[in-house]
Amino acid sequence: MGAAVAGWTVAAVLLQVAGLSLFLYGFFPVKPTLRGFSGPESYRMPSCGPVSAGEQKPALPPDQRRSLYRELSEMPPVYDRLVLMVIDGLPAEFVLGKGGKPPSKELMESMPYTQSLLAGCQAAGYHAKAAPPTVTMPRLKAMVSGAIGGFLDVAFNFNTQAFLEDNLLDQLHMIGHKLVMLGDETWIKLFPTLFARQDGVSSFYVRDTVEVDFNVSRHLEFELAAKDWSVLVLHYLGLDHVGHIGGRRSVLMTQKMKEMDEVIRRVHDASLQDNLERTLLVVVSDHGMTEGGNHGGSSYEETDSLALFVGHSVERAHCSPYNQNEALQVDLAPTLALLFGIPIPKNNIGVLLPEVLNSLTDDQKLRTLELNSWQILRLLQAQMPAFCLEDCINSEGGLGIVVHPESIEKEFCHLLSKAFVSHQSSCLHQSSNFKSAEAQYVGTAVENYYGFLRYASEWLSHRATDKPFYLLISAILLMTMSCLFLMGAVSRLFKGQSLSQTDQLSESYLEQRWHLDEVFILTGIFLYVISLGSSSFVEEEQYTWNFLTSTLYLIFLIKTVQSMLKGSNSTLVHGAEEKSFDGNNFLCATSYELTPGKRDGYKLCTVLIVLVAGRVIRAWHQGGINWVHFPDISKLLAQADSCIVKSLQTISVLAVVALYSVSLMLLRARSKVVIGVWLSHISCGLLVLLHIWENQINTSLPINHSTTSIARLFYAIASVSISATVLASPWIFPIYSTEAKPASSSDSNLVKDIDSHGISDSVFLTGITYTVFWCLLQLLLQQPINAIPLLLIFLQTVSSVVHFSLDKTLHKQWVQVIAMQFLGMAGHFGLGNTNSLASIDVAGAFIGISSYSTVLSGILMFIITYGSPLMLYLGMVVYISVKDISTPRQLWSYILDKMVTMPCLLPLLINSVALTSYTIVLLLMRNHLFVWSVFSPKYLYVCAATVCTYVGVFIIAVTAVYTCTVFSFRARRYRDQSH
Amino acid sequence: MRASVTEISAFTAAAAHVLCFAGLAVAHSLAGPGAPVSDPARALRLLVVCEAPVIIAVFSYLRRDPKSCSFFKAAARGLIGLPVGAFFNAFGAIVLGAPVGIKYWMVTIYWSLLMSLFTFVPAACVFGVSKIDWQTVLCHSIYFTPTDVENYMISAPCHGAVLGAWLGAWPMPLDWERPWQEWPICVTYGAVAGHLVGMAVSPVLIAVHKRRVRAKAD
Ligand SMILES: [Zn+2]
Ligand SMILES: [Zn+2]
Repeated sequence: MGAAVAGWTVAAVLLQVAGLSLFLYGFFPVKPTLRGFSGPESYRMPSCGPVSAGEQKPALPPDQRRSLYRELSEMPPVYDRLVLMVIDGLPAEFVLGKGGKPPSKELMESMPYTQSLLAGCQAAGYHAKAAPPTVTMPRLKAMVSGAIGGFLDVAFNFNTQAFLEDNLLDQLHMIGHKLVMLGDETWIKLFPTLFARQDGVSSFYVRDTVEVDFNVSRHLEFELAAKDWSVLVLHYLGLDHVGHIGGRRSVLMTQKMKEMDEVIRRVHDASLQDNLERTLLVVVSDHGMTEGGNHGGSSYEETDSLALFVGHSVERAHCSPYNQNEALQVDLAPTLALLFGIPIPKNNIGVLLPEVLNSLTDDQKLRTLELNSWQILRLLQAQMPAFCLEDCINSEGGLGIVVHPESIEKEFCHLLSKAFVSHQSSCLHQSSNFKSAEAQYVGTAVENYYGFLRYASEWLSHRATDKPFYLLISAILLMTMSCLFLMGAVSRLFKGQSLSQTDQLSESYLEQRWHLDEVFILTGIFLYVISLGSSSFVEEEQYTWNFLTSTLYLIFLIKTVQSMLKGSNSTLVHGAEEKSFDGNNFLCATSYELTPGKRDGYKLCTVLIVLVAGRVIRAWHQGGINWVHFPDISKLLAQADSCIVKSLQTISVLAVVALYSVSLMLLRARSKVVIGVWLSHISCGLLVLLHIWENQINTSLPINHSTTSIARLFYAIASVSISATVLASPWIFPIYSTEAKPASSSDSNLVKDIDSHGISDSVFLTGITYTVFWCLLQLLLQQPINAIPLLLIFLQTVSSVVHFSLDKTLHKQWVQVIAMQFLGMAGHFGLGNTNSLASIDVAGAFIGISSYSTVLSGILMFIITYGSPLMLYLGMVVYISVKDISTPRQLWSYILDKMVTMPCLLPLLINSVALTSYTIVLLLMRNHLFVWSVFSPKYLYVCAATVCTYVGVFIIAVTAVYTCTVFSFRARRYRDQSH
Repeated sequence: MRASVTEISAFTAAAAHVLCFAGLAVAHSLAGPGAPVSDPARALRLLVVCEAPVIIAVFSYLRRDPKSCSFFKAAARGLIGLPVGAFFNAFGAIVLGAPVGIKYWMVTIYWSLLMSLFTFVPAACVFGVSKIDWQTVLCHSIYFTPTDVENYMISAPCHGAVLGAWLGAWPMPLDWERPWQEWPICVTYGAVAGHLVGMAVSPVLIAVHKRRVRAKAD
């Protein structure tokens, strides 16, 4: 039976991995991006063949570069100074109206100056559609680079590292522009070294609507008077905060818009002061907002962001400012690039905005379109390496127009060659004197260019967001199949168990009916799966887990009380229970010598410890997404003196060390290995303490070399002692018990009756060593505030194991395994994790690492985030050691079977159910408002939890298999020797 | 031991429950509509004050051992049981995540008193300190195995109240920003609703049980 179950399990896991990777590939496509920055080559027609990226040119000084660009582009820059004013969260509707109608009177009156600019045709406004996720940082990236990042780009850059892709600001900096930034500090995170002057304000305190903007505007007078900068970025957060507090119709909204209008007036006035008209004012918003003032999704209200250009090149005689002028947010990048005479960023998929280039001659307009097309063409070539422009023109040269282009390449070919041909012919006709004919040729060329650009841009942006539906469905089918496999394996297991237990009378009552805890677990899992479909529940998942776990342990408490009531009524039950204690020495010490009354007391105490610890953990972090501002213990401690936090950390370390010492003492094994492990554990504890104190002395330096070396020493000692324990522990415990055997038993009987104490002891030693070293590692890596919750989770683990070992008949084994898994999930959220990627602790991922390494810090980040579930999996190793593993036939394979099948299969099954159902939820919600802000981050967590389950189950299985193999080998050798 | 037990008909049970329900209804009408949301402490206080005498009186009348134990002794048991049960209920609620801030103390106390009335007090009045009976009340298996009539009368509303309160807590963390999501408003609603359902179900259970017993006797 064991082999079959193992086979099914492995098959299920493989299927799951395959399905998951398929789904990830289909749902989160990673688009290829071009590295490096556009240079002089962008003013030449792209050549065929592989994109040559390796051309390393000596970096030119800014002035030379500027003149080189000017020469190559064949036209002078239109502007010299740029004021980019970002009004966070302003829907374009507020300024430009909707569907050809101007905005409401109230909104018109709240921005009088801007409206007068629009009415006077001095400004051009666009509804610049933003791509989801509509949150600030990715949108800023899209504006300056013209590229739409995939979700994974967004997800993996959550810590707002410096922006390394080609972008406008770097290009402007390269040709000698001096940049100044005032406002949202996201800009500083993206461009840490770019700005000559900067004042970042934090968007963290959403409740503040006045200070954030005042902190920007207070510099305006100075900056507008200063002549040294040529690019000024203003990012006002107040309007977004107004929305978050009161929604679109907040009473503060008009006031805030008046304030913004005033800023626009001041900036525009100042730009008119230099009469050369070399300043361009661009007012943009990064995203819109819903009626309720939130953003993140892909509804019209959220994606409707503003792009407003004020400058001499947009002025025209006639205009209708409230036409629904649609554009994309990314169109900003090529437009600004060409207006300022810099190459278009490499990954741009935006298209030039026509109205902004009114002051250019027809020739220059066509040239800008040509440059835009060449840049897009380079990007297309990166996606379709076979695509070649020269082939297109050659093949199409004389043949005229292909009516039905059969492939996407052909379509591009066709559009592109049409555009270039019409451009050439308009150039030829330029010398002719017929003005009308020339205008006509130019018109055709512009039209053709836009035909190509719009088509290519759309295709490229769809490449970034489209989802192959059938691929996703088949991925889900694979996952469902894997889930069914696991269910089949578990049901086989249960069937086998009930068959083997029919002869055991003591179990017969238990088998009869579903118990409250069992019913509850099934209901709880069902409720959890249902709750995954609601974004509110996903945002506040910590409540679900905490509620389910505490309820489960409350039921355990009730059952314990019930058994106590029953026990004191009829004492005969204990007779059957007493002889079932076949665990290891640890257990014997804790339970065998206890009187029934005392044991009841311990049973009650352990459950109470788990419950109270769970409540304290819950109060530690008021996690989640909507209630982050609620008071909790961690915020209290963050404000308190750091001494208190340090002393709490110290207490936790000491408590872990003490618990380990106590449990080793109870184990009553005095071999050298055990003492060695104990000593190494104490030294590790001291190292952690040292690390804590070092940090205390030296908090000013971010990277401290002594703490780094302490952490490294810790890693070394811990890994050596853990591997030594794992390898050695099966060898140091006796295979046969030497004490309990009565002298009368014959030799053959002795051989047959393998003592399970030895194997239990060995697994126990391994498991407890895993757990305490893991605990110390967590105490080293986690935020200082998390020290006490970690200790509490450790206590919960130990208490649960003790509780389950004290009375094996109270709860069924699968209930116990699942209870431990529940504890792990509750603890995961108790350590401050949420389903938003923002709560991942990035700081801890660099402890003990001197140079940046993605892999190492990724592993550390995983260890920190999944500290609690993994601790419970390691605790499961302790748990299998205290289980009753004596089988009637005493075969090693049976012992192994009894030890690992349940603790390995059930976590896999639960995780598979969660993963499969959540994948289905994600597919159903793919057009939901919150798919990028709530559901997709959660999916990454679900995937990571799957990895965590694999790791945990792998450790359990390998430990048990190794121990059993060593014991069976030793038993065989012993038998050979004795014969 | 059970010789002195008086058999209770489904009708008596229904009458007892109607009295309890009347207590709830009076409290509700005194508090006025919307009171639980606007001023939960006052509404809960009213509920406890109106419901406590009714429940203690009714269940003391139905006490298990009328021969050896006077009505007043049973009532005294109920009065002692009220704070004890409130303590257990408060413990359960806090462990399950009820807030412990100072501004919640009063409502938590009132709420746990009310829950004690629904769960602990009836059993205390009827059973006293009989361990066997307590064990059967805690157990959910009474719905499948034949037991005494009082067990249904006590267990069904009690389990209903606990289950209702548990289910009522689910919407609390959500971001709907409704006033009733505050502790302990929706939990109270759930508990009262569950209790009412339990009270409605228990006469039915008793009737079914009687029929089953009669059929067995025949
Ligand atoms: Zn924003
Ligand atoms: Zn916002």
